[in-house]
Amino acid sequence: MWAYIVKRLLLSIPVIFGVAFMVFAMVRIVPGDPARIIAGEAATQEIVDGIRKDMGLDRPLLRQFATFIGNVLRGDFGRSVRSKAPVAGEVAARLPNTIRLATAGLCVAIVVGVSAGIISAIRPYSWMDTVVMLVALAGLSMPVFWSGLMLILIFAVWLGWLPAVGTGGMAHLVLPAITLGMSTAAIIARMSRSSMLEVLRSDYIRTARAKGLAEAAVVNRHAFRNALIPVITVVGLQMGTLLSGAVLTETVFAWPGIGRLLVEGILARDYPIVQASVLVVAMAFVMVNLMVDVLYAVVDPRIHYD
Amino acid sequence: MRRVLALIAAIALAGALVISAAAAPAVTPTRGGTLIVGSGVDAVTLDAPMITDSPSATVSEHMVESLYRLTPEGKIVPMLALGHTVSPDGRTWTVRLRTGVRFHDGTPFDAEAAKFNLDRMLDPATRAPFRFLISRVTSVTVVDSSTIRLVTDAPFAPLLAHFTHSSVGMQSPTAVRRLGADYARQPVGTGAFKFKEWVRGDRVVMTRNDDFWGEKAFLDEVQFRVIPDDGARVAALEAGTIHVAVRIPPREIERLKGARDFTVSVDDSLRTIYVGFNVTRPPFNDGRLRRALNHAVNKRAIVNSALYGTARVSDAPIVPAVEGYSKIMTYEWDLERAEALLREAGYSRARPLRAVFHHPSGRYIRDAEIAASIQGLVRRAGIELELRTMEWGAYLALTNRPQPENDVQMYMLGWGTVTGDADYGLYALFHSSQWVPTGSNRSFYKNERVDSLLDRGRTTTVQADRNKIYAEAMRVIMDDAPWLFLHSESQVTGIRHVAQGVVVHPAERIELFKAWIRR
Repeated sequence: MWAYIVKRLLLSIPVIFGVAFMVFAMVRIVPGDPARIIAGEAATQEIVDGIRKDMGLDRPLLRQFATFIGNVLRGDFGRSVRSKAPVAGEVAARLPNTIRLATAGLCVAIVVGVSAGIISAIRPYSWMDTVVMLVALAGLSMPVFWSGLMLILIFAVWLGWLPAVGTGGMAHLVLPAITLGMSTAAIIARMSRSSMLEVLRSDYIRTARAKGLAEAAVVNRHAFRNALIPVITVVGLQMGTLLSGAVLTETVFAWPGIGRLLVEGILARDYPIVQASVLVVAMAFVMVNLMVDVLYAVVDPRIHYD
Repeated sequence: MRRVLALIAAIALAGALVISAAAAPAVTPTRGGTLIVGSGVDAVTLDAPMITDSPSATVSEHMVESLYRLTPEGKIVPMLALGHTVSPDGRTWTVRLRTGVRFHDGTPFDAEAAKFNLDRMLDPATRAPFRFLISRVTSVTVVDSSTIRLVTDAPFAPLLAHFTHSSVGMQSPTAVRRLGADYARQPVGTGAFKFKEWVRGDRVVMTRNDDFWGEKAFLDEVQFRVIPDDGARVAALEAGTIHVAVRIPPREIERLKGARDFTVSVDDSLRTIYVGFNVTRPPFNDGRLRRALNHAVNKRAIVNSALYGTARVSDAPIVPAVEGYSKIMTYEWDLERAEALLREAGYSRARPLRAVFHHPSGRYIRDAEIAASIQGLVRRAGIELELRTMEWGAYLALTNRPQPENDVQMYMLGWGTVTGDADYGLYALFHSSQWVPTGSNRSFYKNERVDSLLDRGRTTTVQADRNKIYAEAMRVIMDDAPWLFLHSESQVTGIRHVAQGVVVHPAERIELFKAWIRR
């Protein structure tokens, strides 16, 4: 097991390196001169050229990349070209916010999604199943910037129960977490429903029922655990989506996370910010995937890693 | 006759009653409290000479003051300066500074500090984007502890207006030296508010400066919060999370009119929105076509429909609040005139004028919708425009190419004359020395008469004479029509009733110097 984890970690190094190169190349291919954007519409060419020189944009691409990688290996992501603040600090300040939001969103998604899926699966094709699956479909199809605004309107403006936007205590986390978790909950609900249905139809469940076990025990002890395995895959994949998909939620709720940092960086052509935030999200993806694989082994004893 | 007199008296009496009723309940401001402003974007940097955007300047100006200040009414008044004299040749400026003023870190504000700040901005190594505002200054010398002397390479009338710019803010030399690049995150000025914290992407917080040299602020604390989504910003205002919401979408005004807890105010800005033509290339090297487009577009319809009436149709390349403005003319909406001009230039329904129209999306209020309206309006005169919507960064790069490579035919842009002086609004946009990428003349407009008038406007020191010069320059410009003159944007701001004394400055700033919370 440990050998496997180490092997996977080593394998992720070229992946991260590849991501780093792609991001590096991409932000430079996109049209638009970052020096001009920083200097503003009114600045003279002399100043724009100076800024370009400061940013090292006048040097050959490969040399720029070498410098970038060298610095990253030393943990130096450079300074934001616009704010002049160290990028590592900017990312470190934003990352916990996104992790908090993504984790809360995931909790909402798992709790709502798994229970909805199981309720549906126990009474398939009943009115309850139909309602739950309809709601799930609605949750899946609603765009975040709309559902988020609706939640703000209802719970912040009309009822005044929760703060509208921004960060602060736990109360600030409720609406964005529900917004973020909603579409993922829908996916998880559909996944757990079909997985649960499949398990409930299998032979060992019939055996369990045949030996006279109470229905609750059948569902809780025998079916649930096995039905969970494919759900873990989905949850793992969604965790990555939640991290990066927080962009829209963070914008609607004015949540200062890494998603918004990335968007701001792209709009401002702030190369160091874009590179660092994409790298961090990519690393998070890799780590989550690794965790899902490990969790598999824990839940499903048939799986062995050598 | 008696009846008429009685009527006049009655009207006068009623008028007096209305006026006194409006002026009556003067409430005394109370001290204390926190006021929260919801802004669309975060500040970029808080190092004054490096600021290029109005959200950053709004935040910065509460802490860092300039030598002079442009009041919301458009007057230039002394701030950290007490006054100045200009030598008869117009080249030597002696500026007397306010005494006994200290920066928030205790460093005294004196002639040395003022020189430090001006030199820092002038130093090419600083790369101050607005260096050109004072680049005519060749030397700054300290006369005594509260007087500095500046020498310019030629008489330069707009210098005083340029001193009001937030870029020329006075910051603590001690802090700038000590913090280096980190200074941009924790500014130290002389203003009514002191920097407290900046949580990037979330908020900038400042507290009252109790040692302020002038009238102290009423508020204990001021917060500028970042709420990028328009809908969420309005909702936060409705929910009471924030006191002031900037840039409310014009379409929301009607809905928000009935609100009990806040008002939506529509204020003028110094920003003009226009569509520029490249006058050096076909088809728009033909002035008749440029005038034809100006007549083909119903500007009033654009203002009323796309902007819900929250703008003012341009009657000059600059707005009324700018010193040097005068009403020149408006190209009236006249399809017959437009078609006649097109015919004269050899176009007809059978052979329509075709052009590519580049425009940004999301940079100015409803810019993409306005571009689409223009496309629809000119089609009725037989002009076919192809729209190219572009992302801001790519758009700037495209329109900024030098003349030989620049094949953009029509482009939409805005210009805020934030110094409140005509020079800033005309020189950079219409002088032939200012073709991009050197300046901001993206139309490659060149008219010797305009050049010499704009040069004279800079070196003439009597304002009445300058006004005449600029009126003449603008007449020539509007007649040449290097632009399709559109409108000046308004600022739509939501302000809760409990927040009193909030000022919406035409330079796209929210000012809270005299604001207070009603209890």
